[in-house]
Amino acid sequence: MELPKPKSMGLQRRYGEKIVESVLFISAITSIIIMLMIFYFLFQEGVKAFAKVGIINLIMGQMWHPQSDIYGMMPLIINSLLITSMALVINICIGFPLAVYLSELAGPREKDFLKPAIELLAGVPSIVYGFLGVIILVKYLQESFDMLTGRSLIAGSILLGIMFIPSMTTICEDALRSVPSEFKQGSIALGANKWQTIRHITIPAASSGITAAVLLNVGQIMGETMAVLLVVGNVPSIPTPFFNIFETGATFTSVIAGEMGEVSRGSLHFQALFAAGLILLLAVTILNVVADQIRARIRKKFGGY
Amino acid sequence: MKIKLAYSLSLAASAFLFISSVTCIIFQPDLTYISILWGATLAGSTLLIALSALTKRQLNLASKTGVVLALDLFFILAIFLLIFTGTISPKFEIRTPLGIGATFGYRLILSALVLAASIVATKDTINLFYDSSSKSREALVFLTIRLTAVFSVLILGGILFIIIYKGIWALSWEFLTEPPRKLGTEGGISTAIIGSLWMVLGAMIFSAPLGIGAAIYLIEYSKNLWLNRLITIAVSCINGVPSVIFGLFGVAFLINFFGISLLSGSIVLGLINIPIVILTTQEALKSVPNSLREGSMALGATKWQTIKKVVLPSSMPGILTGLIISVAKASGETAPIMWTAVTFTATPVQMIYGVIPNVFQPVNNLDYHLLNLIYFLGAWDVEKNAWGTALVLVGLVLFTNMLAIVVRNYYRKKISW
Repeated sequence: MELPKPKSMGLQRRYGEKIVESVLFISAITSIIIMLMIFYFLFQEGVKAFAKVGIINLIMGQMWHPQSDIYGMMPLIINSLLITSMALVINICIGFPLAVYLSELAGPREKDFLKPAIELLAGVPSIVYGFLGVIILVKYLQESFDMLTGRSLIAGSILLGIMFIPSMTTICEDALRSVPSEFKQGSIALGANKWQTIRHITIPAASSGITAAVLLNVGQIMGETMAVLLVVGNVPSIPTPFFNIFETGATFTSVIAGEMGEVSRGSLHFQALFAAGLILLLAVTILNVVADQIRARIRKKFGGY
Repeated sequence: MKIKLAYSLSLAASAFLFISSVTCIIFQPDLTYISILWGATLAGSTLLIALSALTKRQLNLASKTGVVLALDLFFILAIFLLIFTGTISPKFEIRTPLGIGATFGYRLILSALVLAASIVATKDTINLFYDSSSKSREALVFLTIRLTAVFSVLILGGILFIIIYKGIWALSWEFLTEPPRKLGTEGGISTAIIGSLWMVLGAMIFSAPLGIGAAIYLIEYSKNLWLNRLITIAVSCINGVPSVIFGLFGVAFLINFFGISLLSGSIVLGLINIPIVILTTQEALKSVPNSLREGSMALGATKWQTIKKVVLPSSMPGILTGLIISVAKASGETAPIMWTAVTFTATPVQMIYGVIPNVFQPVNNLDYHLLNLIYFLGAWDVEKNAWGTALVLVGLVLFTNMLAIVVRNYYRKKISW
């Protein structure tokens, strides 16, 4: 009996396979190309501002005053750090216990209700949070603290802290759940109660996942734009005294979003905004890469979740 | 038996103090009457805790727990005295302490003090009940965790409730089908809805093939670990890039070619979506067991035929879920399209031959419409329309997300390898 020759498989079929593979390869490397292009275009515009103002002047400058063409990012850096750290505290204080509740205490019925609800809320657009912040939070702060204007750093941090509860909870819960149940059973068998087990076994074992969650959330909080833009007042100034969180402020994102619409292309202001964007992009990318490495390490350690 | 009654009374008193003080911090009502009630409750719970501590012989100043208990009692008593003697009166306020631009008024300070007292009282009661053992610690921590869970559910539920409650009054057939007039104070949001839909559709046309293709390459073809790792890092980086940066990218790059147009906006949103599509598709492809692939190959199918006929159909639900989630994400983004695709006064989308929209025209968009209404809030009467727009936007996004959850759950039950 004669076997069909391999050639009868057809040139067309073999080349078809090759073509498909190369098309897929191109779409796979698109993401690398996109990332490089984003860096390239931000760098291309931003570097002009660094060249004109000077790297140290632009980063360490004490004043951001577009009207007189003075650009220094120190106010933005300080405001961003203040808002991010306070928002993170609020976020962790609510998001982490919620994650512990979901992974350790909640019964199946509560879980079935809470988990989809939290996933849904993660999808509420940031502009809607900004709207609620303007209508409710800013008004509340203005009246109850008798402030000149409710738009302030604290309004921004409360809003951001609440906004990212779902993402914090989801990642922390994943980390807590990925701890093998043998660990917990061993601890319980030794006579520890449930809280001692959580405190001394589950949380330490999940600590790298929780760290990754915190880093990712820092990146998200720093990068959030619309909600911050609407509630911080968008006045870039260094607060006096430096812990005065009841003052108006401006973060990297809010300055870019608030001022980009009205600058002319190619002006120093335009380039300075790109420089601010470049610094933000670098900070967030470093955070993301570190968080990603941590998560990859956990996956190796516990066999994935 | 009597002791148990004392504990439950004390717990009830602290619960009352806790709930009422939190309510007062939020709503800031007049405190004249409730402060009397607070004073009485504080005195009562001090007495209860002190008595039960004495009967249990816990108020022993030689031990650490005894000292802490005594200090707590002193703290609660001090707050009671502050209320009773009228030191904290309606005229009491702390003006701009340390140069901070805020004033802490009577209502806020009193409510906060009572809140602190209630927390301390709860702690002491539980400690006394369990004799300060490890069990009392467990009970305390779990109570805190449960309270936090309730609190967060209240916050998140409250957000949804208020959007629906306020927005429902603005909704009407005219609101959904008419274009805005007079800077959004009158008329509806039809142009914004249609603009949003076309833009999201455009984003999906860009991101779906690229994302699914990339995921297929990564899972089925790529043998180069180094390249895989590089692409994975790039994907997670793009996933974390702030949306406003995509806006800057659009301004620096896309605007030069396409101007402020539907096309630029769709491309930018598509780029934002690619990581989500890649990650979810990867998960879906990974969940297809290898035996299916091997079976197909053994029958003589080529690799691409296997993927097309076997792997893709069986991973479709997962891919679909990812696509739906990215639709929801794309429809909630504002910053990236602000300078690349939208204008507030855009006319309804023009159609070519009545089917395809003219992709080189600026459009309006729900997010951007809401942003402009927020800017107009002080100047014009747009609040009602803003609530309506927010409700439509949230409804759209939540409906899409819910669809994703339903699809996932439906197929999770149905498919079993």
